[in-house]
Amino acid sequence: MHSRRVEIWLAIFFAVFAALTAFVWAPLDSETAAIYEFRRQVNIGDAMLPMVAGSGILLFSVVHLMLQLRRLQDEDVDPPFDRLTLFFYASFGGLLALSLIVMFWAGPLALALFGPSGDDSVTYRQMRSTFPWKYIGFVLGGFTLVFGLTSLIEGRIRWVRVISSILAVLGLILIFDVPFDTILLPPNGDF
Amino acid sequence: MSPLEYVWAGVMAVIAGPAAFEIFGVGIPITLLMVFGGFLLGVVGGATPGLAGPFLMAVSLPILLSIFGFTPDALLPVLGFLVGVMKGATVGGSVPAILFNTPGTPDAMMTTLDGYPMAQKGQAGKALRTAHFASVSGDTFSDLVLFTCAPFLAIIVEAYLGFGEKAALIILSMAFIAAVVGVSPMKGMIAAFLGLLVASIGTGEDFYSRLSLGTEVLASGVPLIAAVMGVLILGEVLVAFENMWRERRSQSQIKEVAQSGDNHLSWKERKALMPFIGISALVGTIIGALPGIGSTLAATLGYATGEKMHKGPVKFGQGTPEGIASTEAANSAVSGSNLIPVLSLGIPGNVGAVFIILAAESIGGFNPGPTVFRFTTSEVNPELVIAFGLFTAMMLANIFNWVIGGRIMAACGIMSKIPNQVLLPMVLLLTLTAIYAQETSFVAIYFALAFAVLGYLLRKLRIPTLPFVIAFILAGNLEHAFRQAFAVSGGDPWFLFKSPMSLFFLALSVAVVIFFSRPKKPAANKAVEAERDA
Repeated sequence: MHSRRVEIWLAIFFAVFAALTAFVWAPLDSETAAIYEFRRQVNIGDAMLPMVAGSGILLFSVVHLMLQLRRLQDEDVDPPFDRLTLFFYASFGGLLALSLIVMFWAGPLALALFGPSGDDSVTYRQMRSTFPWKYIGFVLGGFTLVFGLTSLIEGRIRWVRVISSILAVLGLILIFDVPFDTILLPPNGDF
Repeated sequence: MSPLEYVWAGVMAVIAGPAAFEIFGVGIPITLLMVFGGFLLGVVGGATPGLAGPFLMAVSLPILLSIFGFTPDALLPVLGFLVGVMKGATVGGSVPAILFNTPGTPDAMMTTLDGYPMAQKGQAGKALRTAHFASVSGDTFSDLVLFTCAPFLAIIVEAYLGFGEKAALIILSMAFIAAVVGVSPMKGMIAAFLGLLVASIGTGEDFYSRLSLGTEVLASGVPLIAAVMGVLILGEVLVAFENMWRERRSQSQIKEVAQSGDNHLSWKERKALMPFIGISALVGTIIGALPGIGSTLAATLGYATGEKMHKGPVKFGQGTPEGIASTEAANSAVSGSNLIPVLSLGIPGNVGAVFIILAAESIGGFNPGPTVFRFTTSEVNPELVIAFGLFTAMMLANIFNWVIGGRIMAACGIMSKIPNQVLLPMVLLLTLTAIYAQETSFVAIYFALAFAVLGYLLRKLRIPTLPFVIAFILAGNLEHAFRQAFAVSGGDPWFLFKSPMSLFFLALSVAVVIFFSRPKKPAANKAVEAERDA
């Protein structure tokens, strides 16, 4: 359990979110109400489940709030998040976004730069299952992700990690691509 | 068909099923091969700290679905592979616990107490043999209990429970899981209802997809596998990344000890271990049959029981085989019996069982629950044949475990040396690739990452993830039961409180939540406390 203050704020957040869900979002964003009548028969409508879910969250977050308000001692004073968390996830998020962008666009970009041009020009969709185009995005994006993350966690760049990251990406190609014709590596299914 | 004919049909579905290839004209059944492959992967994965059975099952599932497709023929090979992984990981977890004092899986924590001191005394081989013998004995016992109990429980449920009672039973199961997992039942209940809420996005019976905010992305609903893997696997990976980054401690050098002691495990010694294994297997089986209670608690209870029984010269905690046997028999006995609620009620009680349900739901043609065990005589019930085929696959995995499990374990020590900061980024890429292989769209990766953030936040805020996932999976069944019970009652708003049985289930749900809300004493074992508070 976190500190009393954190738990109280958590309970308040869930209570507000649940109240909005149960009484605003669910009824307004469903075609049929919780209970509706159709051809003289009373039925449960689509709004029922989200309203029950929202009401459940509301009920238990209010009980949790009551219990926390009665609580006297803090069992754990460490906050769940701090500046380090923010810094790490900013770096991690940036690295992940970069990796996914590289993974998605490297293949089409390489094809545009180095692929056949003029009358022989082809789209990436036509080439997405052919060597080497189908591997470019996955290899570059996957390597960026694995090597970048390992280096971020270790706080230094090591050549041995370059090798292990390349081996990891090649290993995944061996698992997912080489034995199967029907499986597409990312991002080839999107083209 | 008579019950015995159903059992035989299940066995034949595995043994005489489609062949993968032929050796000297004899076809090797694909299910047999998949069970073996899963078992092998499970032992290796279990022996690798940072990987665990549920993770391996999660990553394997999309690949398996891509290979075998979505026809009923795919059910036994896919389920057989997953069962093999589950069983292999259970024995594999003890390898690094014994050799390097690092449990490969959380439930092997107690194995370190006696396993590592034995390795330090040069008896690593004996410790591994003891762990293997106890683990496979406990697992086999638990499977036999599953085979005998699940059909009877399912028949009782099907015979006596209507839609209202089934809805109340699902509520009771969710309340129980929410109450026993995690430090606060209130937070567990919040997680469960959050799971119901997320499951209702983009679903329903109307033309307009509810809670979709008018967007196309939400209108088709939340991809099941991406969401479950995001919360359970990627959320855990994110927390591990942050912790490793914070600690950034260098990997300490592993001290190699020459294994020159007595490494043999004689039949006489095995016989002497049997009382410890028997009691612990019973403890593990009972704990495993209750949804939501982890195998770490079973291991701890098994160890504590064994400690009371033990009268040998070497005390528990100082490197005695009885300590390892008590722990391993208990945590392995959980793996069979925790399929009792899955197969008889359709309710997954732990993370491993979640992936069994996911596989069955994704492929179709087999809906774990009480309807599976309908012993129809006039026409064949294919689900029942699959159920007995699954039992056969479990027994095959046990046979592999008895025959070669020990040798594979001994060869897996090297896996423990892979540092987590190298392994986990690979795990992230592997998971994302597996999700993509299933959905072939980057949207699925975005969903998985969004659910990874949710899983991360839940863990950081100490809200248990298991009730969320189980409610997410059961939401469809619960809503169906609600609608049916309401319709049968003729629109009576008190339809859920009409029968004494459903009233009993609902009252028990409230009682369970109140009971587990009492202030908890600190657990004697830190691993159990960590699992409880996770």
